[in-house]
Amino acid sequence: MSNLKKRENFIKRFLLVFFIFCFFTPGISLGTPKGKLVIAQGVDLTSLDPAKHHTTGEFNYDNALFDRLYLFDVQGNPVPRLAVSHRIINDTTWEFKLRKGVKFHNGDPFTAADVKFTVERILDPKTKAPFAANFRHIKDVKFIDDYTLQMVTEKPDPILTKRFAAGATTSILPSKYIKEKGEDPFLRQPIGTGPFKFAEWVRNDRLVLEAYEGYWAGSPLVKTVVIRPIPEDATRIAELQTGGVDIAVNIPPFLVNQVKAMPGVEVQSVPSGRVMFLYLNTLALGPLQDKRVRQALNYAVDKKSIIEKILMGSGFQMAINLTPYHFGYDPSLQPYPYDPEKAKKLLAEAGYKDLKLVFNTPSGRYILDKQVSEAIAGMFEKVGVKIDFKVREWGDYTKDLVTKKLVDIGFIGWGNVNYDADGTFFVYFIKDAAFSYYEDPEMKNWIIEARYNLDEKKRKDLYARISKKVFEEAPLVFLYQQQDHWGVSKKVKNFQTRGDENFYLYRVGVEK
Amino acid sequence: MGGYLLRRLYHSFIVIFGITLIIFIIAHMIGDPVVLLLSPEATQADRDELQRQLGLDRSLPVQYMVFLKDAVRGHFGISFRHQRPALELVFQHLPATLELTLAAMVLSILISIPLGILASMKPGSLLDRTGMTFALFGQSAPVFWIGIMFILLFGVKLRWFPISGRGGIENLIMPAMTLALFSTAAQTRLTRSSMMDVLDKDFIRTARSKGLHEFKVILKHGLKNALIPIITIVALQFGMMLSGAVITETIFAWPGVGRLAVNAIYNRDYPVIQAAVFVTSLFFIFINLIVDLLYTKIDPRITYR
Repeated sequence: MSNLKKRENFIKRFLLVFFIFCFFTPGISLGTPKGKLVIAQGVDLTSLDPAKHHTTGEFNYDNALFDRLYLFDVQGNPVPRLAVSHRIINDTTWEFKLRKGVKFHNGDPFTAADVKFTVERILDPKTKAPFAANFRHIKDVKFIDDYTLQMVTEKPDPILTKRFAAGATTSILPSKYIKEKGEDPFLRQPIGTGPFKFAEWVRNDRLVLEAYEGYWAGSPLVKTVVIRPIPEDATRIAELQTGGVDIAVNIPPFLVNQVKAMPGVEVQSVPSGRVMFLYLNTLALGPLQDKRVRQALNYAVDKKSIIEKILMGSGFQMAINLTPYHFGYDPSLQPYPYDPEKAKKLLAEAGYKDLKLVFNTPSGRYILDKQVSEAIAGMFEKVGVKIDFKVREWGDYTKDLVTKKLVDIGFIGWGNVNYDADGTFFVYFIKDAAFSYYEDPEMKNWIIEARYNLDEKKRKDLYARISKKVFEEAPLVFLYQQQDHWGVSKKVKNFQTRGDENFYLYRVGVEK
Repeated sequence: MGGYLLRRLYHSFIVIFGITLIIFIIAHMIGDPVVLLLSPEATQADRDELQRQLGLDRSLPVQYMVFLKDAVRGHFGISFRHQRPALELVFQHLPATLELTLAAMVLSILISIPLGILASMKPGSLLDRTGMTFALFGQSAPVFWIGIMFILLFGVKLRWFPISGRGGIENLIMPAMTLALFSTAAQTRLTRSSMMDVLDKDFIRTARSKGLHEFKVILKHGLKNALIPIITIVALQFGMMLSGAVITETIFAWPGVGRLAVNAIYNRDYPVIQAAVFVTSLFFIFINLIVDLLYTKIDPRITYR
């Protein structure tokens, strides 16, 4: 057999094996997206404008239709997407190299002008972007050439790339298209550079997206994506059971076993980036200014029982309010043990015999929030602290929180989307910040130093120091990290659950 | 009659004015939206700026005057959350609510009136007792429980109907049944008692003694005279369904005004709250007017001057 013939045979065999492999291997596309994927989540979008988005329900639409400069991987590291690299020119100037060959859904090329336009639009007060405050320190966005951009910040910002990865506020918008057509037409028929194109949105009913075969990273696997807002848990799960939807988000812990028992469906669970804890108002004069009282309250809570009995195992005890996803997490800290005797002793030492405190909790905002709060209130009573228990409407409660009017204790959850300790410590332990009820000048200096320091090692050391002090000072009652559950049909391939409640559908396939 | 209509329209105008004032005050009493619209990193200056942009920094009477001035021209402001005109949002959701409410109303009339009549014809019979037990059940069972039971039975077990969302007639059946149950129960009881009242009257005995067919006695002489309270409650129930379908809409993920309004309340989205309440109030007033006019058609003794 001639060499040419041999080579021809080899190529034929190789192609045959390749096609058989592709055919039987989900997740490897032969080019044409196939099938329909239906996802049920609890809430709908409020608009089609990423800059105005507020909730993960909205970010999931942004993730499908748009791209950002960076995205977080499942461990919380920023990975370049529309940016390919960056370098720090000086303490306050970052240069980004952008990806070439990326096209918007209408065929316009993506360039640095689009990034500049997007950032400036967020910063424009007329946009009323809810997350504008997170980017306010960007003083200038300089267009260098089509694929090079510089950003100048007021002070050094070590988490600039994380800010672009967090949330979907900075989804890159098509500057040329918006300038030519105007905002309104864009918001009726939005285009992005993401793996899916906009097809239809019926408010509170469905959002329909179609595969964008010209996606820069290759065509997505699914042809049509339908995202449906189904607020009621039982309905979402019934739809999953009957095949009406393929993925249902937020399966509450008490329904996990029911979903597990359904044929053709599996539950995918993941530790959440959200941590739950209790506020203690240490700014108001009174017993909560005494460290011993705060520590006593931490010792008084039986976190293990709460997780096992109320959350049915869906949680992990926390030492402070930072998860292992976050840069600056200190694994050496162990949660406060349950020790009611020690709690009583500390309270006695502090001289508070008939302590009476107000305990505020939202109801229905977080998984089993009221039930957990009731249990904790009972535990406080056991160590001799009388509780005046108040169930609060969410809007009313939040307003009290940010206007510093919280009385004594409040149950709260915090999802730090920057995946960096700064997003927790700055917000909770600097008195002037919106959610803080704590003041400690030394800790404030450390937090500020870490916030504006580009030296990663130095920041890590500072956060370790802050974490130890936070644990010791107990400005909060630390509780647990939530575990999220997703119901996923076995027909769905390559779906990855994430701790930030977002989903990315680019590599997801569906067998029909 | 013309004078009466004009008077009613004038009264309706006063009622609408009163409603705008009440919704305005209540909406502003439930709290400030600004906190819920900004990120945790926002400063007091950011909050003040947004408050200024939304016009919430002005005094309440000034805000009310601005609201009235715009409302007269059909503008209820731009939704804080959705960034679209509030009235446009309400109109987008209105067809779904009307579809559901009308379907539920038709369903409940078709069931309750025949059932009430049959029960009234033989009080104490098996049919009467069954009908009344059903009515008791319908009035006492909570809507959210009924809805979920329907989903589990007809959606999951029997797979007869789609579970949620708006679509064809098959999507409408379960939410309409759920919404209809309470009013069906109330209307059945009322039809029964109203019919029993009438069937005792002399003119019924006369009709029967004339040898009229029982069917004619019941429908022509009985039902026609029993209809006034029935129509009144049907109209009231219709109004309640329009504004109170929120639980049904939530369970079945139905994209109606109720869900829009409740989310608006949670988010302190004043323009949407005001537009939604305004539109449903208009419907309520309109239905009441129609019912009052219907009275004259049913009972010639009733005249309006």
